[in-house]
Amino acid sequence: MTGRRTLAHPPLAMGGAPPAGPGGLPRLMPAAGAVPVDLRGHLAAHGPLPAVRSRDRLLAEVAAAGLTGRGGAAFPVARKLDAAARARPAPIVVGNGAEGEPASSKDRSLLWISPHLVLDGLQLAAAVAGSGSAVLYVTRGDRLHARLAGAIAERAAAGIDAVRVGLVAAPDRFLAGEESALASRLAGRPALPSHRPARGLPRLAPGRTALVQNVETLAHLALIARYGAAWFRTVGTAAEPGSMLVTLHRAGGRPAVAEVPAGAGIADLLGLDARPGVPAGSPVPSVAGPVQAVLVGGYHGAWLTATTAAGLPLATTALRPLGAAAGAGVLAALPADRCGLAETARVARYLALESAGQCGPCFNGLPRIAAAAEHLAGPRPGPRARADLERWAGLLTGRGACHHPDGSVRFIRSALRVFAAEAGLHEQGRCRSTDPRPFLPVPAGRPATEEDWS
Amino acid sequence: MTGITHATALWYASRATGVVTLLLLTAVVLLGILVNRQGRLPGLPGFAVTGLHRNISLLAVAFLVIHVVTAVADPYVTIGLAAAVLPFASAYKAFWLGLGAISLDLIAALILTSLARARMSRPAWRAIHWLAYAAWPLAVVHSLGSSADTRSGPVLGVLTGCVLATTAALAWRLSRAAREVPRAGRAAAILSRMSARKAGL
Repeated sequence: MTGRRTLAHPPLAMGGAPPAGPGGLPRLMPAAGAVPVDLRGHLAAHGPLPAVRSRDRLLAEVAAAGLTGRGGAAFPVARKLDAAARARPAPIVVGNGAEGEPASSKDRSLLWISPHLVLDGLQLAAAVAGSGSAVLYVTRGDRLHARLAGAIAERAAAGIDAVRVGLVAAPDRFLAGEESALASRLAGRPALPSHRPARGLPRLAPGRTALVQNVETLAHLALIARYGAAWFRTVGTAAEPGSMLVTLHRAGGRPAVAEVPAGAGIADLLGLDARPGVPAGSPVPSVAGPVQAVLVGGYHGAWLTATTAAGLPLATTALRPLGAAAGAGVLAALPADRCGLAETARVARYLALESAGQCGPCFNGLPRIAAAAEHLAGPRPGPRARADLERWAGLLTGRGACHHPDGSVRFIRSALRVFAAEAGLHEQGRCRSTDPRPFLPVPAGRPATEEDWS
Repeated sequence: MTGITHATALWYASRATGVVTLLLLTAVVLLGILVNRQGRLPGLPGFAVTGLHRNISLLAVAFLVIHVVTAVADPYVTIGLAAAVLPFASAYKAFWLGLGAISLDLIAALILTSLARARMSRPAWRAIHWLAYAAWPLAVVHSLGSSADTRSGPVLGVLTGCVLATTAALAWRLSRAAREVPRAGRAAAILSRMSARKAGL
């Protein structure tokens, strides 16, 4: 590796286990409440980060652990690290904490409570890739930035970081955390996704690439480096090992971030009563009241009926045949007394306003679809409203400069499937919902200006 | 009126195809401006604007080739074939024909890069395509200077029409560009238009 100063650390001996509660969880954040962990507390709980003497050994351990990316795409981390290790010149390492998804708060929570795990993971990734610099990419905002700057300064003062870490502010937009938008922002341009299809590591400039990992992935990496692959696999399933952070939305409370085993049952996570006697499509009872549908995977994810979702694990292998994926772990249990079409229309409007404005299918198609969804959610939609929505949704897929149109269409199409009965009622001028309050968190859709992307 | 004899046929052909080439080139420039602003021709689908722009440019090249070949072949004046591409290499009216040769070189660059577009980087292709704004005026000045026909009578009218149309199109392009909604606000602008249209569905 390049001539960086080596520090007196123990060699990479993996073993032992961190302090944890029953079932081996939580791992990433301490069980005792939402108190941020400072450097002393972090070192007391986990010890110092082992130095990476053998890059190949760490890669083998990560591969054995089966760690996949926690940013939504679930790409095998060992493969990405391997590609970064072989890239010349060494890529810049980026921890992606720009959680553009409004329904997800896991990355913000992790960065607030356990920043040192994330920063440890960043150092490990930099060591594997041979990078001389690392960046933490976080949404612009005072408190979290100040806290992270403090954590980085703490580590610099203690002299435990081999690679200097910089903080880069991301614009507060849905697409800001997308890999090519991130690369664009690091290169000094507005954080807009690129037209080019993604192939290999994202490029900042000709010859400069970046290794981008979600902050939760880095935190897991930091633990695997200490405790090994076998420990990592004590939780989760064989196909989806380890733990993951999820954001749960249930009626009557604020969104909750929890660390759960990967592949856990959706019914367990949301508290759904998965009794077998409930007919398909009707509401499922839960601790927070009857639930009609579950949104899996966020605003580029898909709706499922509550009965379907209650029988499934939060695992992409089980969800993909139904057009859904685990994504970044967002689960929202829509109460039976809300209108699913109204929720979909609000989200569709938000997604349309979050368009980068770079290609026709997006800045033209998504607003039309959003207006049609609003029409369908309102009183007396025309008889052609549903057919028009389906047709336009089909026209957009695969035609955009990035995946924003595709993801948005997936979300809206799933709504048309799951809320078909509701749409029929709306066409007759009726609606089953009795509660007009919004359920899903949607930021006030203010139109964007050019500065908002910088 | 003098008849077109065998001896003067090439001369007339050269001048006639010259006028037609200029008309076609003007059409190409107008359509190119329309393509750039994503404008539409009434009654035609969107892809027709780009399609017409490309096809008429190839038609213009065909007429340009005949214009040059007949001028070179004509025994009345001495214009070597080299003078078609080498500026100011002609024995007859070196300056005005030289301008035509420059224009032809630029047009050749435009056509060849557009045919090889898939193999080029888009910024490079765009930079070369801007040369169209040099090629067309050179063609106009070449027409005015190289023949007395273009300075009087109906042909002058045609030329004036071409110049006026192109100037108007350019003015339209600049005003549209100035009023364009910036990229970040496009979706919002369309969304407010759609929402205002209550009975659109």
